[in-house]
Amino acid sequence: MNLFKVFGEVYPLLFKGLWITIEVSVLSLLFAFVLGLCSYFFAQSKKAPLRWISKIYVGLIRGTPMLVQVFYVYFAIPQLLQYLGFDVRLEIFMAGLITLTLNAGAYMSEIFRGAINAVSTGQMEAARSLGLSHGQAMRKVILPQAFRICLPSLVNQFIITIKDSSLISVIGLAEIMYQAKIYVGRTMESFATYTWVAIFYLVLIGVLTYVAKIVERKVQI
Amino acid sequence: MTAQIIVNNLHKHFGSLEVLKGINLEISKGEVVCVIGPSGSGKSTLLRCINRLEEPTHGDITVDDIRITDPKEDINKVRRHIGMVFQQFNLFPHLPVKENIMMAPIELKTKSKEEAEQKAIELLERVGLSEKVDAMPRQLSGGQQQRVAIARALAMEPDIMLFDEPTSALDPEMVGEVLAVMKELAAMGMTMVVVTHEMGFARDVADRVIFMDEGIIMEESAPSEMFANPKNPRTIEFLKKVLSV
Repeated sequence: MNLFKVFGEVYPLLFKGLWITIEVSVLSLLFAFVLGLCSYFFAQSKKAPLRWISKIYVGLIRGTPMLVQVFYVYFAIPQLLQYLGFDVRLEIFMAGLITLTLNAGAYMSEIFRGAINAVSTGQMEAARSLGLSHGQAMRKVILPQAFRICLPSLVNQFIITIKDSSLISVIGLAEIMYQAKIYVGRTMESFATYTWVAIFYLVLIGVLTYVAKIVERKVQI
Repeated sequence: MTAQIIVNNLHKHFGSLEVLKGINLEISKGEVVCVIGPSGSGKSTLLRCINRLEEPTHGDITVDDIRITDPKEDINKVRRHIGMVFQQFNLFPHLPVKENIMMAPIELKTKSKEEAEQKAIELLERVGLSEKVDAMPRQLSGGQQQRVAIARALAMEPDIMLFDEPTSALDPEMVGEVLAVMKELAAMGMTMVVVTHEMGFARDVADRVIFMDEGIIMEESAPSEMFANPKNPRTIEFLKKVLSV
């Protein structure tokens, strides 16, 4: 139960885990940004099949727990592929990255939809009345404003992804939570270890929130 | 000489609501036409059909000998020659005043960056806002924003300007400055279609006034005639209401 004695032993492990947590979260967020944007544009497409793809994707992700998604990506899909004759083995990190990306992408698609809808139709009309095409108006007028509007939600999504990444420990990704579980298994120091884990997350997310506030103020219209 | 804008049997439905019920209209080059009428009469919809911000349900519109209601026509090309000013200004809030004006000419490659900047400065001078070149839209008053919006439309060097109630969202003391800019434009020979509630402006500046109600043109005549001697009972009733204020 000695908090400080445990800290001395556990902090190198937690830092090792922290690095993986950040790595998997940042990468998945970058990919999810692109995926979310694609899903948004699919949802707005004139072609019905594209709209359906986006709808089904967002529906599946929102309608299932992330824990199920992790297992699905890591165990279920490889087995299906092997059954079909493909020899696919997914690395743990890759499986975690894919799950977090798919997950965050669906929510970002919705974030983009909200932000773009929040830019008034008058802006689109003004741009079009000058002779800009729909694409040009999007690029020069709508998206720059929508990006500013959705920035707080994107930061929020980033925080959620960081926290969700702890779930990937169930398949053995050696991030913060996984490192803690191993240590507790060896020493039985649950209270002290998980207290430090919570503090690690609190500090990490606190710093991010602070940085985000500054960025937000900088880009405000 | 043929007319610059020809509207032929224009109909517009919003669902089951018929907003325009067969509009016929010809506007010649350099003419200033004011469209007046009660709200819901279809005047804004008519204006927005002329640059196809609204898709006409039925009928034809020809601008500068181009049939813009033809789906094969590149509407983006046509719109470059038709400037539009909105009730809510619709300046781009994320861009400084100068870049609001420069954006379209640069993006559409009708001007180099230097030319566009030169033109923006020139236009701002013309609307009396030289000192606001680098201001952000939110730092301007409504009247100033609307003058920038006019400059932005002029940057594409249109030969037609459409005004959709340009002074309706302004505080009363700012109406004059916007109307003054429009007056100057009219004097320079710009073809203008102005949907407005400013009867004074219509009387002083318009070559022709059109009274619309319930989706049709009820009456059209020279302003002197329209205001002194309206014929249609609906026009008489409308003018009595707005002029007695």
